[in-house]
Amino acid sequence: MRILLAEDEKKVADIIVRGLKAERFAVDICPDGQAAWETAEAYDYDLIILDLMLPKLSGTEVLEKIRRKNQHVPILILTARDAMADKVKNFEAGADDYLTKPFAFAELLVRIKALLRRGPVNRSSVLRVADLEIDRLSQNVRRGGKKIDLTAKEYSLLEYLATHPGRVFSRTMIIEHVWDQSFQGLTNIVDVYVRHLREKVDDASPVKLLRTVRGVGYSLNDEVQA
Amino acid sequence: MNTRSISFRLVAWYAGWLAAIFVLLCALLYLDLRHFLESDLRESQLRRAHQIGDALLAHVKQSGEAYVASQAKDWYEPEVNDRFIRITRADGTLVYAPGMPHDGSFDPAQVSISSSSKTESFTKYVLPGKKTLLVASLNFKSAGNPDYFVEFGQLLDPVDSMLNHLLLQLMLGLPLAVIIITCGGYLLVRRALTPVEQITRAAERITQHNLSERLPIAQTGDEMERLSVSLNRMIARLDDAFQNSKRFVADASHELRTPLTILRGELESMAEDLRVDAEWRERAASMLEEAVHLSKIVEQLFTLSRLDAGEARAEWSRFDLSELAKTTADQLSLLAEDKGISISCDAGQPMPVEGDRVRLKQVIVNLLDNAIKYTPKNGGIKLRVHGVNGHVVLEVEDNGIGIPADALLHVFERFYRVDQMRADGSESAGLGLSIVKSICAAHGAEVEATSVPAHGSCFRVTLPLSKG
Repeated sequence: MRILLAEDEKKVADIIVRGLKAERFAVDICPDGQAAWETAEAYDYDLIILDLMLPKLSGTEVLEKIRRKNQHVPILILTARDAMADKVKNFEAGADDYLTKPFAFAELLVRIKALLRRGPVNRSSVLRVADLEIDRLSQNVRRGGKKIDLTAKEYSLLEYLATHPGRVFSRTMIIEHVWDQSFQGLTNIVDVYVRHLREKVDDASPVKLLRTVRGVGYSLNDEVQA
Repeated sequence: MNTRSISFRLVAWYAGWLAAIFVLLCALLYLDLRHFLESDLRESQLRRAHQIGDALLAHVKQSGEAYVASQAKDWYEPEVNDRFIRITRADGTLVYAPGMPHDGSFDPAQVSISSSSKTESFTKYVLPGKKTLLVASLNFKSAGNPDYFVEFGQLLDPVDSMLNHLLLQLMLGLPLAVIIITCGGYLLVRRALTPVEQITRAAERITQHNLSERLPIAQTGDEMERLSVSLNRMIARLDDAFQNSKRFVADASHELRTPLTILRGELESMAEDLRVDAEWRERAASMLEEAVHLSKIVEQLFTLSRLDAGEARAEWSRFDLSELAKTTADQLSLLAEDKGISISCDAGQPMPVEGDRVRLKQVIVNLLDNAIKYTPKNGGIKLRVHGVNGHVVLEVEDNGIGIPADALLHVFERFYRVDQMRADGSESAGLGLSIVKSICAAHGAEVEATSVPAHGSCFRVTLPLSKG
């Protein structure tokens, strides 16, 4: 997997590169917008990480130029601004995800992996993870054939985790999807809901599906653990 | 009445001085008039005594004393005119003395016989009944005639009553004049101080949110104009200082993001790096926690500085606050239940408001989160939304530990914490309620807190109801 990182802050770039290399990604760094655009045009990347405040050519301009030629490469925006208007503008210009500095590297990694493995969204009306069955039409949840009663929020959380079994979702990602940004900073709300969900989904079964990934977030496990 | 106020003191001085001058003038007028009237009376009595002497006593040899007496009585009719006439010989024996006046005002017999050696003299006799008789005495000498002592007198009553009348008039008129002067003076002072009043009212309206406004300049070319101009200059300097501090917060929170990213990234990789000694990993993790906390503060400061700068109203829409309150309370209810706290939501009527839905939701989230934090197990939180004449009132009431009265004034200040005991963990930076206040200010809403320590607190947000 090859990633292009356009970031002018050398130390920030170093940390990201080091982290990504440890995860066996190949990373190229561009310190300015012009170089980023030229490199992105010349080579084929699986993912592009763009800082918005770049010299020579701003991140938004690079984003627009890339999107005119290549509709498909996932682009993740890094920014020191988190104004709502900026976010909307960049999503409209074709960004796939948006991360505000300062961020946890684990969060960046989870998002990169989510973008790379995004693939086709599972639109089937029934999601299955091991013996867990989620019927999206009736919002009925069964575990081993037994019906589980969930509140609306618990259901949304479980359904979100079940869209990509095995994938780690960060607390921030969960809040963004299941709640909204008014709840940002209240990350313990996710923990509380996951705990309640566990009581209902996992407690009665020897196989635990909801897994905590320390320092990162949660995932719904599809492989049976030893 | 405020006795230290400038208007009171000005009017008091002014009325005091004028009253003193008036009293002095009136006293002078009274004394002078009394002196004039008395001396006038003396002159006329003496003139009459001389008349009796020159016209009658000078010819006493020819006409005889009896004629003199009858003439004096005929001319002056003392009994009718309340006059006193007495003619005595040098040895003190009577030539003529009048009878009782017809109105019995005084008894001439009670007037003692004086024996002044002077040619002309005046005596005041105080008679029973507080009457004063002014008597002019004349030692009449003429060649070839015996010496006579002529006394001519009149009661001072008319003069006294006139003076008394004047005194009464002055006593009544003086306070009236002083009252009129005081009122007039008060009105004048008020008029003179009106520009100050206007400047004060305009200054009252200026808060940190409208520092760009200026006071009206009193175009008077005097101290008032200078005062308003200097006040405006002061407001401009304050405005500058405020802008600078806001810009500083915005710039600082922005500039801190990159170093924080680096710090977090390095600490994160150190905390995860299995080649690093376990103890050092632990330390890196602890530092990472602080760096994350710092990031949160920077985040909140950035939010505040954006709210201060007046966020664009592009996100504004019209929505039902009751519905927003209900869904938000519902979303947070599990968080509360986790602590054994119940949230009851009383929001029956739809309450349309205009504003940034996400931001106003943040207000409800922050207030509820705060209430959950400071309410002990088995407590209860009440969220109420109701309309009060053209406004929507949103209340979050808890029965938690409450806020001491001296802290209540400061809860909306940045970084203010009621005390160390309340700060649970590293989550709160003391900015949540400042954000609530800033969002409210941006929506033209008021937020206030009331609390009874050990019984609970109530936060009340008052928003204008949408008219559309």
